[in-house]
Amino acid sequence: MISISLTVNKQVYQVEVEEDLRLIDFIRDKLMLTGTKEGCGEGECGACTIIMDGKTVNSCLVMAFQAHGSRITTIEGVAKDGALHPIQQAFLDVGAVQCGFCTPGMVLSAKALLDENEVPNRHQIREGISGNLCRCTGYNKIVDAIELASSYIKEGQQDETSSSGRQ
Amino acid sequence: MITKCIRPSNLEEALEQLNQQGYDGKLIAGGTDLVIEIKHHPYEKSTLIDISRLKELRFIEIGETEICIGAGTRFSDIVNHPEMKGICAGLWEACSSVGSPQIRNAGTIGGNICNGSPAADSVPPLLALDAQVIIKDTTKTRTMPLKDFYIDKGKVAIEANELLYAIKFRKPKKDEYITFEKLGLRKALAIARLSCAVFISLGDGDKIEDIRIATGAMGAYPQREEALEKLLIGEVFDAPLIEMSTQEIFNIAKQRLGSRSSAVFKCEAIQGLFGKALRRAAKEAKSYDFHQFNS
Ligand code: FES
Ligand code: FES
Repeated sequence: MISISLTVNKQVYQVEVEEDLRLIDFIRDKLMLTGTKEGCGEGECGACTIIMDGKTVNSCLVMAFQAHGSRITTIEGVAKDGALHPIQQAFLDVGAVQCGFCTPGMVLSAKALLDENEVPNRHQIREGISGNLCRCTGYNKIVDAIELASSYIKEGQQDETSSSGRQ
Repeated sequence: MITKCIRPSNLEEALEQLNQQGYDGKLIAGGTDLVIEIKHHPYEKSTLIDISRLKELRFIEIGETEICIGAGTRFSDIVNHPEMKGICAGLWEACSSVGSPQIRNAGTIGGNICNGSPAADSVPPLLALDAQVIIKDTTKTRTMPLKDFYIDKGKVAIEANELLYAIKFRKPKKDEYITFEKLGLRKALAIARLSCAVFISLGDGDKIEDIRIATGAMGAYPQREEALEKLLIGEVFDAPLIEMSTQEIFNIAKQRLGSRSSAVFKCEAIQGLFGKALRRAAKEAKSYDFHQFNS
């Protein structure tokens, strides 16, 4: 066993992990944060996407011990104070979710994109989610949702200065 | 099976550890190839040495005449670099074509070079740039041409106690240009991830002063196509020459790939890829009347 300390969704963990454990297994099986999905286990589908130190990575391609000292956000960490993140809300509003297996990864890829570029065009959105496969919804609705999320986030920033923001 | 993990805090410590572990030690950086191997195949080494966070390996230095890139540099570091696209387009194109944003955020150029995959995207442009690899162990630093680094499929000329520190190459000048082309398939679907990089230096009267051509996935490892280069150096770049050289690369592919099942497809495809990379490189190397070649 090797000891690691890391921050997941703003909570600090100090734990012992098996040497051959992957980060995705740590997140799902040890922390029981099962929102992160495993599709292919080979870096193709993006269902296991997390944000690590500000960048999206496939958690199926990282060893758990390598995450020592890192800051991680999983899908469980994007909602704030019980309110959905604007990206999550937009996915619901547009109907960009069918089975939902790809959704956590899609939302995190969208978040990383919008964190860097508040108003991406459709091409940039497509590029931003190019590492995430969806087998049922189709990509148009997902791109629509991310566009809508971008406008929600901008509105939210305006609202914050006047009232309490989106519900 | 992995039974031990080491996280050195600096390069010196990493080299020490690598030295001590001998054949049991395996460096891990971005993990984008290695973790799959560890998970899905019985893994013969027992000790992982994590170098993914070593700052000393993560840099892009652009000097007057030379560019040096640390082995731990992520593809996204290169893609997001403000100057790389302008200075060495082909390398930039290759790095932005790697996998997906997630893979580019984790994968390193050093890992791409050392894994010796025939389809490593960043390698053909580095070969075409005539890059040198800088390799370190606890006592010494050595430099060798990248083109001699590949020995066989998955096999590179590095000892168990050595680490790829950086890669360097001469900065392309005016009248020089490098391009990269690959088959635009998603990795998951690609049977053959064929790619090609062309570096060209054009002189007066469109004379080819120098040309370096490299292919990926056309054989056991990425390689320079020196026989073809020899035919082109000193010649005038014109339509018949393009015609001749694409025919020639077909012949080379045919001979090298023999009866492999992918041969028929690759022999056809490489002509298109190479032709495109060549035309584009020449066009950019010089403000060139391109249209007569662009059928
Ligand atoms: S499960 Fe990680 S990319 Fe598919
Ligand atoms: S909603 Fe089912 S995979 Fe995307």
